[in-house]
Formats: sequence, structure tokens, C-alpha cells
Amino acid sequence: MNNRLRELRAERGWSQADLAQRLGVSRQTVNSIETGKYDPSLPLAFRIARVFERPIEGIFFDGEGETISREENPGTGA
Amino acid sequence: MEPIQRRQARRARFAPHHVLGGCLLAAYLGARVVAELTGLPLWARVPAAAAPAPLFVAWAAAFTRSVREEADELERRIQFEALAFAFACSFALLMGLGLLEPVVRLPSQDLSSRHVWAMLPIFYFGGLALARRRYA
Repeated sequence: MNNRLRELRAERGWSQADLAQRLGVSRQTVNSIETGKYDPSLPLAFRIARVFERPIEGIFFDGEGETISREENPGTGA
Repeated sequence: MEPIQRRQARRARFAPHHVLGGCLLAAYLGARVVAELTGLPLWARVPAAAAPAPLFVAWAAAFTRSVREEADELERRIQFEALAFAFACSFALLMGLGLLEPVVRLPSQDLSSRHVWAMLPIFYFGGLALARRRYA
């Protein structure tokens, strides 16, 4: 599964440690999610969505979802 | 490093199961020295050999509590993978020794329980290193 965690974190100027503190997890967990080595549980994905004030599908997506999104919204780069 | 992160790192380093683990190791080494002193009477060696058992129970309780209550979900996954690796390796080692025992004469001094058990924590730390590297 892919995600936009690094991008959204950078937009807010947060470090991995800042985000980890907001989510109540370790910095290693944030790093592993960002690099796609670890997929978070549903409760953690909801916490991430709340922190970034976005729907889960606006943060996490699989390859298939990304393709559908591009077909539905051509030219948006989404 | 920021003060909060430094405090968290220190708290993690001196977590109860780490402190108890150190005490357990010291108690085990002490008990092993006393238990192997053949000059001592049996009534002194038996309690010495059993002395680390209560510490082991305390360490096991602290370790389990830390995984259940303090670890986040990735740390729990890492611990699970490390324990699964250690279990599989221990199973293979003990089964292999059990199968070899009736077939070939194994050196009882080198492959006695007091040496073989030490492989279990080695397997666990090996599994921990592999799991941490996977998610690093």
C-alpha cells in the first residue's frame, strides 16, 4: 500500500518525531509507514486521517485505487 | 536530541524488563558459579541453583506487560516476529538433538540443558535484529 504521509508531514513542517508524538507511536513506526514497509492498523490509519484532517483514502491508496483515481480525474495527477 | 526524546530514550533503556533482565543475568551467573562449586554441600547448592527462578517470573511478567501495554503496534509486530523466529529455531534445535540422541553419542557436557538453553535468547535476539532490519 502507498501513502502520502511524508508529503503531508512535510507540508506541515513536522518532523517524524513530531508526527509520532501526535499519533502516540514511535518514530520508527512513522518511518516504516512512510517508506511503505509497514501498513498501519485501521485504528492507527483513522488517527492519521484525523491528525491530517483528511479522509483515509486521501492518504492511503493501493496501485489499483491510484489507477481508478487517475481515470476518474484525468489531469489532476491524483 | 530534544529533551522529551532524550527522556523517552532513557525511560526505554531503563524499562523494568531491561533492569530485571540485567538482574536475572547476574543472578544466573552467580547461581551457576555457586551450583558448580562441588566443595559446597548439597543443601547450599540446590537453593542457589533455584534462586534466579523468582527473578525470571518477575522479568517474564514485566516483559509481557511492556509488550502488551507500552509497545506500539509496530513494536508488537517486531516482538511477535522475533518470538516466532526464536520458537522455530528452538523447535528445530531441540527436535534435532532429540532425534540425534538415540542415534549418535552426543557429548553430554557440551549439549546438556545448561548449555542448550542459552541458544534460546540468542535465537530471540537474532530474530529481533532481523525484524528490526525489516522495518528500519
